[in-house]
Amino acid sequence: MEILIESIISGILIGLSYAVLAAGLALIFGVMKIINFAHAEFAVLAMYFPTYWFLNWWGIDPFLSAFIALPIFLVLGYIIHRLLIEKIIGTPEAETSTLIVTLGLSLLISNIILIGWSGAPRIINQPYTMATWSVADVLINRAQTYSFVISLGLIVGLFVFLNRTFIGKAIKAAADDPEGCAYMGINLHFVYALAFGLGIAVTAAGGCLMATYRPFHPFFGETIVIILFASVILGGMTSITGALLGGLIIGLVQQVSVLVIPVELQNVAVFTILVFFLYVRPQGLLGKKGRAV
Amino acid sequence: MKTEARQQGLSRRRNIFPILIFCAVGALVSYFIGPDLYTQRILLLIILWAAASSSFNVISGYAGQVVFGYMMFVGTGAYTTVLLFKFLNISPWLGMWIGAIVAVLIALIIGLPTLRLHGAFFAIATIAFPLITFPILNHLGFEELSIPFTGHGASSMQFRDMRFYVFIALTLLALVLITVRIIESSRFGFALRALKQNETAAEGMGVNTYWNKLAAFLLSAGLGALMGTVYSFGLLYIATTHALFGLFIMVRILSITIVGGIATVWGPVIAACFLVPTGEFLNAQFGDRYPGVQDVIYGVALIVATLYMPEGIWGRIRRSFRAVLSKPAASMEREAGDEFQQKTGGKTTARDLPRFERIRSGTVETYNNGPILKIEAIDKSFGGVCALEKMNIEIPRSKVTGIIGPNGSGKTTLFNVINGYLTPDRGRVVFEDIDITHFKPHAACKVGIGRTFQVVQIFNNMTVLENIMIGAFNRQGDVSKAGAISEDIAHQMGLMSRAHDQAVGLTMWETKILEFSRALATEPKLLLVDEPMAGLNPEESNRIGEMIKGIAQSGITVIVIEHVVQSLVKIADWMIGLDEGKKVAEGLPQEVISNPHMIEAYLGTKWRRRHVRS
Repeated sequence: MEILIESIISGILIGLSYAVLAAGLALIFGVMKIINFAHAEFAVLAMYFPTYWFLNWWGIDPFLSAFIALPIFLVLGYIIHRLLIEKIIGTPEAETSTLIVTLGLSLLISNIILIGWSGAPRIINQPYTMATWSVADVLINRAQTYSFVISLGLIVGLFVFLNRTFIGKAIKAAADDPEGCAYMGINLHFVYALAFGLGIAVTAAGGCLMATYRPFHPFFGETIVIILFASVILGGMTSITGALLGGLIIGLVQQVSVLVIPVELQNVAVFTILVFFLYVRPQGLLGKKGRAV
Repeated sequence: MKTEARQQGLSRRRNIFPILIFCAVGALVSYFIGPDLYTQRILLLIILWAAASSSFNVISGYAGQVVFGYMMFVGTGAYTTVLLFKFLNISPWLGMWIGAIVAVLIALIIGLPTLRLHGAFFAIATIAFPLITFPILNHLGFEELSIPFTGHGASSMQFRDMRFYVFIALTLLALVLITVRIIESSRFGFALRALKQNETAAEGMGVNTYWNKLAAFLLSAGLGALMGTVYSFGLLYIATTHALFGLFIMVRILSITIVGGIATVWGPVIAACFLVPTGEFLNAQFGDRYPGVQDVIYGVALIVATLYMPEGIWGRIRRSFRAVLSKPAASMEREAGDEFQQKTGGKTTARDLPRFERIRSGTVETYNNGPILKIEAIDKSFGGVCALEKMNIEIPRSKVTGIIGPNGSGKTTLFNVINGYLTPDRGRVVFEDIDITHFKPHAACKVGIGRTFQVVQIFNNMTVLENIMIGAFNRQGDVSKAGAISEDIAHQMGLMSRAHDQAVGLTMWETKILEFSRALATEPKLLLVDEPMAGLNPEESNRIGEMIKGIAQSGITVIVIEHVVQSLVKIADWMIGLDEGKKVAEGLPQEVISNPHMIEAYLGTKWRRRHVRS
């Protein structure tokens, strides 16, 4: 029984960090209707820089790094959008072209990490990494708990930004009706690039948090990308709330399924959910079914 | 006819010759280089990656369905063969074909549901499969499978001399390229190009888009699996999940295909010829210090090519080549066109249009006086909004029936229900005593329902003639015959002067005529015409009207939706008025337009009170 409760709790804790990663992906898809295949790789990049190296160079705590990562990756995402994505958005094949470009980008990032910092798996070694709380015989990882709290803060921050600030509202408006926005004097280039940067930044922060309790390597992205896809599809692709819910569910399924199937196969359960939703309910949990033609 | 067939056979052989010559030259080069391991290895890599990229090109280039999980099939082929050889001692020569069959079956499992998905969903669905096969194989202990060495021998596909592998790979490459070439010049290839550009229009012209995509997918998968086997036996010796299911395979195949040229025969070959050696060279020089340098090159090539050269090297070469070649040819055609135009009075006119002997003889076999189409109690709603309600309509044969009604009255929805873009919630559609309620558009086209669209749907990157040919393929499987029929129709419709121009450059009038031509090429018994006069000037509208009358006189029943009531009154024999999804008037055109309910629908109650009573 304790094991089940432990799995459920860690499912929720880990699920929320998936949710943060997926929220960035859903934000980008929701606004520009493109899939960023390199999304997981940005999270991995953030695990190395700033998280791992800032800790090793200057002893900066990974939880602080999560906030340092936000502006860094906002700018990085903004630049990448201006340089690469912007050139193909609006063409008839935009959806496929962006996937191809970001697929190339994902390989580029992971191999640059490999070249720069070697393929050796890394672990963040902080006092809380392996430490646990115990509540009535149920053990809860401390790093995961801290991550959970900060993730919640990030999510609230993201929603406040999108709903309460002018730029946030512009991003939401651009997702609804880009043409209308352009007529209202909103600079779409800026809004798109900002949304892309914001999506990357949120994900990078999520990566920093995840690094505190999970070992990682340059190709770690390949293992979590399927989780991100499953989360956003579960949530209906465009909805951030949906992606958060999706991430939580995926985290729960993954952790609870470990009780039944081997750990290496925990993604198989995720995959099953992904395929089921793709085929049976592609509009996701919250999405509405569109018109046929 | 005989010479025509022979000519076509000749041109097909001529198309295949360069491939055979290329592969023969490759074999000779390999033979004379001698047994130098390193050079032969690179040669083998070039050939294999070219073969894999060309196989990938069938589904992703020609059919435009980019399969981001293509490594699934390369890996399946390789793993099947290696496992069969290792544990059951089945010769890889047999194993590679079993591997191909397994890959095709897996493609069937993946493709049957996913090919109904679009864009992002399709991409995610296909890439999810290899990503999940990876950990499953690792879990089963197959992360690394060394191919057992049973001594050099032909039966176990293990040769000391690399040249044997090069020859095998060249044979495979020839097989792939010839397959691609044959597809390119067949009805299947035309169907793929059409559905890639405009799935809606392709369906409407009788192309079963789903089955065509599936066929291309299975073919692609099988060919990719063959490559996987030769790759693992000739180069890897140890099959690993990383080398055969890894994402880098996808990036390599994608960059070779895109850099070379999507949907071209020679593009992937050319790109492989310089990308693969470059990658290998860098890997040899800097691989120790920078282990990922090769993949960085492919990643950069992929991004740069997608952004700055989406047509690829071969695409660019071909375009400039054609520009040089086609100048004299084009001027000749224009002269022929001029002659035609002189005869017809200087302009492409509608006066010569209504001559559809060929079409007529092909379609209207039986003459009976009953209605050609019966719509019985059709209901259709979109999320609570009723688009059609208890619609009962009978369409008289060989007449022009006009359908009028204000915006949102359900006119286009009615068309979509008739030819299968939408399925009604209740009720039946009966065409010539066949219940077509649940027919897909391509099936509706097969039984004889043609269609033109409100927003013109043409295949932009095909020539005018090719556009018409897509329609002609509905009844005619042979490429040269379909071409002849299409030329005939282009002549009749006055499009011959533009026959070899890309459809994207046509004027509004020409695109309308093209849509009519293409629909007539499907040899319909019933033609659905959706707002033909939108965007045309009054003179052009009149000509279109005359043309529609001509089509009806040749025996084809026409239903026309039109906003411009006056133009429609002139050509319609029978008229139906719709308002808010209901039929509110039916009868002779003059009756319907003076029907108070119709006037009210268009102009509001006030207007009616003021004018109709007096």
